[in-house]
Amino acid sequence: MIEFKNVNKTYSTGTEAVCNANFRIEKGEFAFLVGASGSGKSTLIKLILKEEEPTSGNIIINGKDTTFLKSKRVPYLRRSMGVVFQDFRLLSDKTVYENVAFAMNIVKATPKHIRRQVPMVLSLVGLSGKAKMYPNELSGGEQQRVALARALVNNPSMIIADEPTGNLDPDTAWEIMNLLNEINLRGTTVVIATHAKDIVDKMKKRVIEIEKGVIVRDDKKGGYRK
Amino acid sequence: MKYNVISYFLLEGFRNLFKNKKSTFSCLGVMCATMLVFGLFFAIGQNVTNMLTTIEDEQGIQVFILPEATDDEIVKFGDELRKIEGVNTVELISKEDAYNQVKQNLGEKESVMDGLDPSIFSTSYLVTLTDLNMNSQVQNQINELDNLKKITSSNEVIENLARIGRGIRIITGTMLVILIVISIFIISNTIKLTVHARRKEISIMKYVGATNGFIRTPFIIEGIIIGLLSGILSILLVGGGYNLIINKIMQSGTAQTLGINILSFGDISGLIVLVYLVLGVGIGILGSSISMKKYLEV
Repeated sequence: MIEFKNVNKTYSTGTEAVCNANFRIEKGEFAFLVGASGSGKSTLIKLILKEEEPTSGNIIINGKDTTFLKSKRVPYLRRSMGVVFQDFRLLSDKTVYENVAFAMNIVKATPKHIRRQVPMVLSLVGLSGKAKMYPNELSGGEQQRVALARALVNNPSMIIADEPTGNLDPDTAWEIMNLLNEINLRGTTVVIATHAKDIVDKMKKRVIEIEKGVIVRDDKKGGYRK
Repeated sequence: MKYNVISYFLLEGFRNLFKNKKSTFSCLGVMCATMLVFGLFFAIGQNVTNMLTTIEDEQGIQVFILPEATDDEIVKFGDELRKIEGVNTVELISKEDAYNQVKQNLGEKESVMDGLDPSIFSTSYLVTLTDLNMNSQVQNQINELDNLKKITSSNEVIENLARIGRGIRIITGTMLVILIVISIFIISNTIKLTVHARRKEISIMKYVGATNGFIRTPFIIEGIIIGLLSGILSILLVGGGYNLIINKIMQSGTAQTLGINILSFGDISGLIVLVYLVLGVGIGILGSSISMKKYLEV
């Protein structure tokens, strides 16, 4: 599903963000990417999203080597993954419903399909009653649920989340994590870059730890620290 | 499905326009201003060109034939003249015609001519040209004909007229280029503002997997709308202004005394409308494409 083969990434400023990364995340897996700020977590996420190109090595996603993917094909690659960010990234002038439907507009879904799919995803994240509200009328947790609904609405085969609970209080963070776990149980691969030590420790999922660009640990059922 | 996408593009394009009313408005203003300046030069240019063609038609070369030429030879000479490239019309002026013409020109003093016989005049042909620029070329060929006595023509007038015509075409062309450059710059700046205001939306679109074409289209539509609107507005302004000025000139009677025929707006509107609309749309597309470039990376 996601495979890194001897991946190196050195930014043009000379920073070595990722050094010889090798790992493989299978279809349907749930994996945490942990590490201190500046350790290279975000770069790994950016490499998966093909927002950045590796300096050397190969990245294989869904059986396809994306290293030499033409920039024209990148949008189609991204349709196979739903992305969630720490800062939610919702459109403030659009309602909850419109924010989610927006993602379907972009992939040119039919109006009929949109009308059926959006309420379904909103009920999945528990926001059925708030479809007509605007993001600023929602709590942080609810906003992240909207972002999650948007990421899910086109049925991606994986969810990539960059610090999805970074802006949330512990209780709300757990709600989001449980939701992500639920999504994973339905067969979607989930990759989460996070700082949330408690959550990682309690969930006992796969943990890939990165330190100064080097993958130092890859435990099948690990905690935040060894 | 097609309908859904198209309506989405149009809706977004219009939404952009109304979201940045100020920049849309100023962009429209400046584009209209440049288009108006061009329109002014274009209208003057068209009128001068029109006057030139009228004068050109009147400018002829008079070709005199040797007195000893027979009637057959004179007819043959006329045929030869018609064969020359660049010759528009050929008119025979017989000795009698020439005699009468002179008599007429003398007016009250025409009795001076009474003692003279038409045979003292030479038979001649009055040749007009299709294009004044071919003047010397045509004269060279006439010089090679048999039975030629001499050629008279107002070479200087002809060449000056041709020069004025060229100059006006160059000025209008330059104005057009300047108009295009300024307009592209202005439109691309306006679109840049909308793109900047919506960069968050664009980045989200990119993460959800929108193609560049999909992201770009609403902004290009915005550019096209601005271009079209300024085009239409300029047509109305130029048309109204032109007619107003023409009416003033007509009323004053200046044109009639000078013997100048001024074109009505209908005569030049076809080209102006075409130029404005094509430019408006073209500039809209180009301007917005330029401003989008930076934001579509990643």
